[in-house]
Amino acid sequence: MENFINVLLDPLKDFWTGFIVFVPKFIAMVIIFAGGVVIAWGLKLLLLRTLLAANFDTWADKAGLTAIIRKGDIWGKPSDLSGKILYWFIVIIFLMIGLNALQIQTIDKVVSQFFLYLPRIFSALLIFVIGYVIAGFISRAVLIAAVNSGYHYAKILAEAVRLMLIVFILAMVLEQLSVAPSIVVAAFSIMFGGVVIALAIAFGVGGIDAARRIIEKGSEEKQEAEKDVEHL
Amino acid sequence: MADLDKTDILIGIASYNNAKTIDHVVRAVDAGLAKYFSDKKAVIINSDGSSKDGTQDIVKTAALDHAAMFLTYPVYPAHRISMPYNGIPGKGSAFKLIFQKAVEMQADACCVIDADLRSITPEWIELLLSPIIKGGFDFAAPLYSRHKYDGTITNSIVYPMTRALYGQRVRQPIGGDFGFSGRLAEFYLKQDVWETHVARFGIDIWMTTEAIANGFKVCQTFLGAKIHDPKDPGSDLSDMLVQVVVTLFNLTERHYQKWKEIKDSKEVPTCGFRYHVGLEPVKVNIGKMLDIFRTGISNLKPLWTEIMGQGDFGEIEKIGGLSDREFRFPAGLWTGVVYDYAIAYHKKMMSSEHLIKSLTPLYLGRAASFMMEVEEMEHHKVEEEIEKVCLEFENQKDYLINNWR
Repeated sequence: MENFINVLLDPLKDFWTGFIVFVPKFIAMVIIFAGGVVIAWGLKLLLLRTLLAANFDTWADKAGLTAIIRKGDIWGKPSDLSGKILYWFIVIIFLMIGLNALQIQTIDKVVSQFFLYLPRIFSALLIFVIGYVIAGFISRAVLIAAVNSGYHYAKILAEAVRLMLIVFILAMVLEQLSVAPSIVVAAFSIMFGGVVIALAIAFGVGGIDAARRIIEKGSEEKQEAEKDVEHL
Repeated sequence: MADLDKTDILIGIASYNNAKTIDHVVRAVDAGLAKYFSDKKAVIINSDGSSKDGTQDIVKTAALDHAAMFLTYPVYPAHRISMPYNGIPGKGSAFKLIFQKAVEMQADACCVIDADLRSITPEWIELLLSPIIKGGFDFAAPLYSRHKYDGTITNSIVYPMTRALYGQRVRQPIGGDFGFSGRLAEFYLKQDVWETHVARFGIDIWMTTEAIANGFKVCQTFLGAKIHDPKDPGSDLSDMLVQVVVTLFNLTERHYQKWKEIKDSKEVPTCGFRYHVGLEPVKVNIGKMLDIFRTGISNLKPLWTEIMGQGDFGEIEKIGGLSDREFRFPAGLWTGVVYDYAIAYHKKMMSSEHLIKSLTPLYLGRAASFMMEVEEMEHHKVEEEIEKVCLEFENQKDYLINNWR
């Protein structure tokens, strides 16, 4: 009977012992994380005040940094954006350190992998941010050029270009993060190749007459308009 | 070459593939110098953008039979120099070389002439140089008779805005043919602008504005009709608009302290005998212009709303819904749009190229409206309409000043 009670109590004792060991670690993790959030918030505030005192936004305007951010459809102040980036970076770092405090082998492994992975995350983030800005810029250039050429579906064309570029950038990001690189490259190649072939067939077969009409009309109109009107 | 070290007059001709017209231009310049300035040393500088059609050879060989034209021969026959310029390909870079030569040769009076002109006569040289040599002016802007559909960027943006900002009524600020003093050439040369749009089509508005804003003595001179070769079909309207308007807005930034104090505008002295001549008819495709304007409304809404606000965009949307026949783009609304663009440029809302290129459909809408309004009008009535646009720009100037900060 005593044996049976021991069989019943041992797992509970083990659980309790484990729980007693775990709770301080968990509390440590929560404290580290909460501390991290406070530090992140404080550093963000400090950075914002420093940037404001240094007239960073004016400098960013003059240096064209604001224009670059706007090209990517980000409308906040450059100082706010810098503050947010710093905040989330610190929060994530402290979250990882906090998880490390749990001293769970699997999590430890994940955390150490995370820190080894950090350079890749950085470069992927950089590719994404720069790519996103460039995609926004090119998409808007296409939109305006198409409108100025009188193309009625300019918005759709610009969005299609933007989407294609974003897909291209995401493929690069995933490749950089080593997330199933062979599948990503293969999927991207198939998709990109498919789009190009579809467009080539559509233009080649379906649009011969339309293309001829457009080119003829375009060259006639250009000759007429450019020869007659002197805008200057 | 020794006698070329110093000259009294320097005539600059900027060219690029102008073999068809440059012979006529050089002979007209040569005749003008011989007829009106025969006692002065003169040099004709052809600043060429590496033409492929033999333009430079034509400049060197263009012949004028002085004996057949004049009773007395010029004391100093004009020298001719043809040379390629360096830097960004464009009219402004060609002018920079002309300014350099004017400073090196210590020219007292200079003028620049377009190489594609078909209507230039020897009198143009007298009309552009006399205000400088005899009148004591530093800058002589041209005044032409132009078809009512010609010069739409001038009529709808450049003239009204320059006049409202700087208070001087220079009717053709981007005419292209100017007279200027040696000291103004030296001033131009010292400016650090040769890597910007000034090196291209921005040169004309830059020369005029700098002359006005820096207190040089400015006049305009009536030259008659301006007829020239068709523009290079490769020169896209949007590019031209970007180069001119970006330069105009850059100058607006640069001279804020000066123009914010200026109220109203006044006439500038005008030389030459003013008359109206018959002009070649100009064909326009208003339907296509309106189509691009409406395409802009349906595709650029977020961008335009960001620049001009919901109110003005609502007005634009409303006129976009009118039929072609009823379509009118009011001068007041147009003025607001241009000032909103100037403010957006100042606040660096987006890349300057995107910003100004997005103005193209609005500009075409306004130009189409203007063309329909003046379709049946005589020349003087058309000028009255342009005057109304200018007054709108002057009346709304406070809006620009108040929103500049």
